[in-house]
Amino acid sequence: MLLFGVLLLQLARIQIMEHAQYEAQAQSNRFRTIPVLPARGLIYDRNGEQLVENEPILSAAVVPADVQEEKFLTTVAELAGVTGVPPQEIGDDIMRARDSNDPFTPLIIKDNLNETEAFQLRERQGNLPGVHVLVESVRQYLPGITMSHILGFVGRIDEEEYAELRSEGYGINDRLGKAGTEYTYEAALRGSAGYRKIEVDAAGQEEREIAHVDPRPAGNLALAVDADLQRKIAEILQNGMGPSQNAAAVVMDVNTGEVLSIVSLPSYDNNDLTDPVNQEALPALLNDPAKPMVNHAVAEVHPPGSTFKQITGTAALQDGIASTNTTITSYGSISVQDEYNPDVTWVMKDWAALGTLDFYRGLAMSSDVYFYYLSGGFYQDGVEVFRGLGAERLASYSREYGLGAPTGIDLPGEASGNVPDPDWKAETYKDSPVASDAIWTLGDTYNFGIGQGYLTVTPIQLVRVTAAIANGGKVLVPHVVHAVVDENGNVLKAIEPEVQHQLSISDQNLGIMREAMRQAAVYGPARTGASSQVTIAAKTGTAEFGQQLANGTYQFSHGWYSAYAPFENPEIAVTVFLEKGIGATNAGPIAKQIFDYYFDRQRLAQTEGTP
Amino acid sequence: MNARIVRLRDFDPLLLIAALALVALGTMLIYSGSLSHWGEPKASDFSHPVVRQGTFAAIGLVLALAFARADYRMLGVLSVGLYIASVAALAFVLLFGDATYGSRRWIEVGGTPIQPSEIAKLVVIVALAKYFSDREEAIRTWRVLLTSLMIAAIPAALVFAEPDLGSAVVFAAIWLGMVIVAGARWSQIFAVIGSATIAVPFFFIGLVTDYQRERVALWLDPERDPQGAGFNILQGRISIGSGGFWGKGLTQGSQTQLDYLRTETTDYVFSVLGEELGFFGAMLLFALFVVLIWRGLRAAELSKDMFGRLIATGLVIYILLQAFINVAVNVGLLPVTGIPLPFVSQGGSSLITLFIGIGILESILLRHRRFNIGEFYHNG
Repeated sequence: MLLFGVLLLQLARIQIMEHAQYEAQAQSNRFRTIPVLPARGLIYDRNGEQLVENEPILSAAVVPADVQEEKFLTTVAELAGVTGVPPQEIGDDIMRARDSNDPFTPLIIKDNLNETEAFQLRERQGNLPGVHVLVESVRQYLPGITMSHILGFVGRIDEEEYAELRSEGYGINDRLGKAGTEYTYEAALRGSAGYRKIEVDAAGQEEREIAHVDPRPAGNLALAVDADLQRKIAEILQNGMGPSQNAAAVVMDVNTGEVLSIVSLPSYDNNDLTDPVNQEALPALLNDPAKPMVNHAVAEVHPPGSTFKQITGTAALQDGIASTNTTITSYGSISVQDEYNPDVTWVMKDWAALGTLDFYRGLAMSSDVYFYYLSGGFYQDGVEVFRGLGAERLASYSREYGLGAPTGIDLPGEASGNVPDPDWKAETYKDSPVASDAIWTLGDTYNFGIGQGYLTVTPIQLVRVTAAIANGGKVLVPHVVHAVVDENGNVLKAIEPEVQHQLSISDQNLGIMREAMRQAAVYGPARTGASSQVTIAAKTGTAEFGQQLANGTYQFSHGWYSAYAPFENPEIAVTVFLEKGIGATNAGPIAKQIFDYYFDRQRLAQTEGTP
Repeated sequence: MNARIVRLRDFDPLLLIAALALVALGTMLIYSGSLSHWGEPKASDFSHPVVRQGTFAAIGLVLALAFARADYRMLGVLSVGLYIASVAALAFVLLFGDATYGSRRWIEVGGTPIQPSEIAKLVVIVALAKYFSDREEAIRTWRVLLTSLMIAAIPAALVFAEPDLGSAVVFAAIWLGMVIVAGARWSQIFAVIGSATIAVPFFFIGLVTDYQRERVALWLDPERDPQGAGFNILQGRISIGSGGFWGKGLTQGSQTQLDYLRTETTDYVFSVLGEELGFFGAMLLFALFVVLIWRGLRAAELSKDMFGRLIATGLVIYILLQAFINVAVNVGLLPVTGIPLPFVSQGGSSLITLFIGIGILESILLRHRRFNIGEFYHNG
């Protein structure tokens, strides 16, 4: 009787007192909630051309909680046999997942099974509880190499991302955008998951569905980018980049900030990097010194050279340092006495002895001496004979134009670039053994004024400088996406034009700059970019880098060209960057071909539209 | 052998009814537990657990009546032969038996697996009863006590080596209970128990296999391997706990029907009861065992001779202890042992042995009067 009393007490304890707890455990044994993701959103260009497809693949998976102990070794051996994944690895992964707090989510052993593998696994499935062949969806990028930096790619969630995103409903097997718009518009492209609640038996086999909530369809992206233009520019840039390791070109709508094309060369095929990753292609991509995976239009910084004179010029006009009548004579160079050692004289060269120049001609001919004066002033025997802007004012205007900070473009990995000033230099070189290294000199201001020295920018920053001049001072946030749309093309969320801020420079002064850039494209070095289809306004830039040669020039230079068109009623701004090249000689002709193609195509479309 | 008066009125219907009620309850649970694997039973399908259990119960009932009719004292005559045969069978199993879940407990005879350890328990009860009843007063000598210990210890050691720790414990308990009833001195009994207690730690280190140690470790902490060996322990407790007071209803238990329970018609049949019939069902089961034990003890008390009293005592201990151990395992109070729930768990050897035991109890009752005036007939 005593024995039965003990049993009754224990029974009463677990059946009556702890009933709720065991009831909950029985329920969680029995029911599983499986998230159901909508198909990932598609991506279209601005004209409706489809750029991405979702493709089904088959994956070998195992639910760790469902592998029966006595079949553990068989399960591991069979999985290893079919997939070729080492059994040790599979066994360790299953053990680890079992000890985790989520042993019910399928563990992917191998994705992208071929038909034979999938067939073999399906045959064995019946005897191996927990083993499944899953249908997963992967991305196929239709444009191949030309739009990889824009579209990006998706990949499996990694441990860090999972830790961060699991609260938002991400599962351990989910894929998510890792680069490009796949990354920046992840939330829209993913949509929101629904779920199925199912009853399962001890082997994890579904008995019946208890409930389901359909996922909400994901949003599709309508890009601002024009795929046709993108392809054409990639071709033009490829042909014109010469010895450059890399090159970039950006076309932006000057009124909306929409990016019609953004090309970075060399590029890569994002089909190699999207999950499942093409492991054979990976080492070459990672080791290539030209860095094909980097979007050079947004992620890399270089000194802008004379294209920066757009900023120096408008700043000088606005601050009253210069007017259209300000004349300066370039003898080919100016001499600067060293501030600390009067015996040393620095010679700052112009690219040619350009004679006496007014503001228009100074900019159009891209006289360095003219802009040395505007930025740093001019001193004779220690006496100021021409008052310049000074580094602080120049830096302040540069920041107004959006330099030194990300533009906020909807692509990841954007670089800020650098706007130098005396404080920056003091901070940066404070630990230098030579104390004078940290001191800002007049030479630094001169270099800054012509876009050399410590100043660095990205092509996307520069294109919106030109656009701001063209549109009357609006510094726009660039966008590669036009809108998030539903499957019928209805706009779910429009990416509205966004003015980051309005320049403090008057439209009159911006108008002087526009006229000067127009003249540059007519008779200055920038005429190499003049289009037969449209009137343009432009500025070249050639920023020296590498070793200084005996004659005072440098081994290499970056070639820049930044322009807008039509001059009368600006629509687009174009910036071209060549890692090696000269602005007028190499970058200009590329811009010309871009303008030719764009406006020729526009004219053709209009003629077709009005028969 | 003296002629005895056999009175049919002395047949105890309550004893047999309690046993049959337990079998009926067990068959219902086996039906529910086998549904997911076997589906509805068909009379022609002898491999179906319900049909098998029904068949063995019918055979058992016939045997019970046959043993009731036979004079139990005849068993005393056969006891030496039966004992030797049982020990031989246990040794045979150990050498050539079929292994399930890591231990050798079965031999195949004509396609039917037989578990000799169940029958051996009955035989040891008979052998001990015979040995003690032949030496009534000599039980107080060490020689007789230790010889009786050997009678129980040899089969206990053989089942322990299978390994079947649970059955070995049952042998020990049967011996202990019968020694007490046979009139051994308490000082002797405590001396044996004392030395056994001292031996336990050495025994656990030296003789217990890793397999058994793992079972004990798992019992202490089933969470250490929730998908493997700890699975049954955890799932059994979840099943019983989720049943609550009234249970989920026969064939309505998710744990049972979705196969979270394993060996749900044998060792874990009590978990099916706990889940589907709840605390109420468990009390009903206990009530039936209480009736069975009460009527068994009554038989021991009424028995005319020491032999019958000892057999009845041994049988009661056997049934009570197996029931206790099985339920205790199911509710997580003891480590997993593989002891069936008497009359309830699926299993021919156990069921037939138990019915024979009932038959012997009835035989004892039928023959407990020396004189009678009513209707009678002579036996033997």
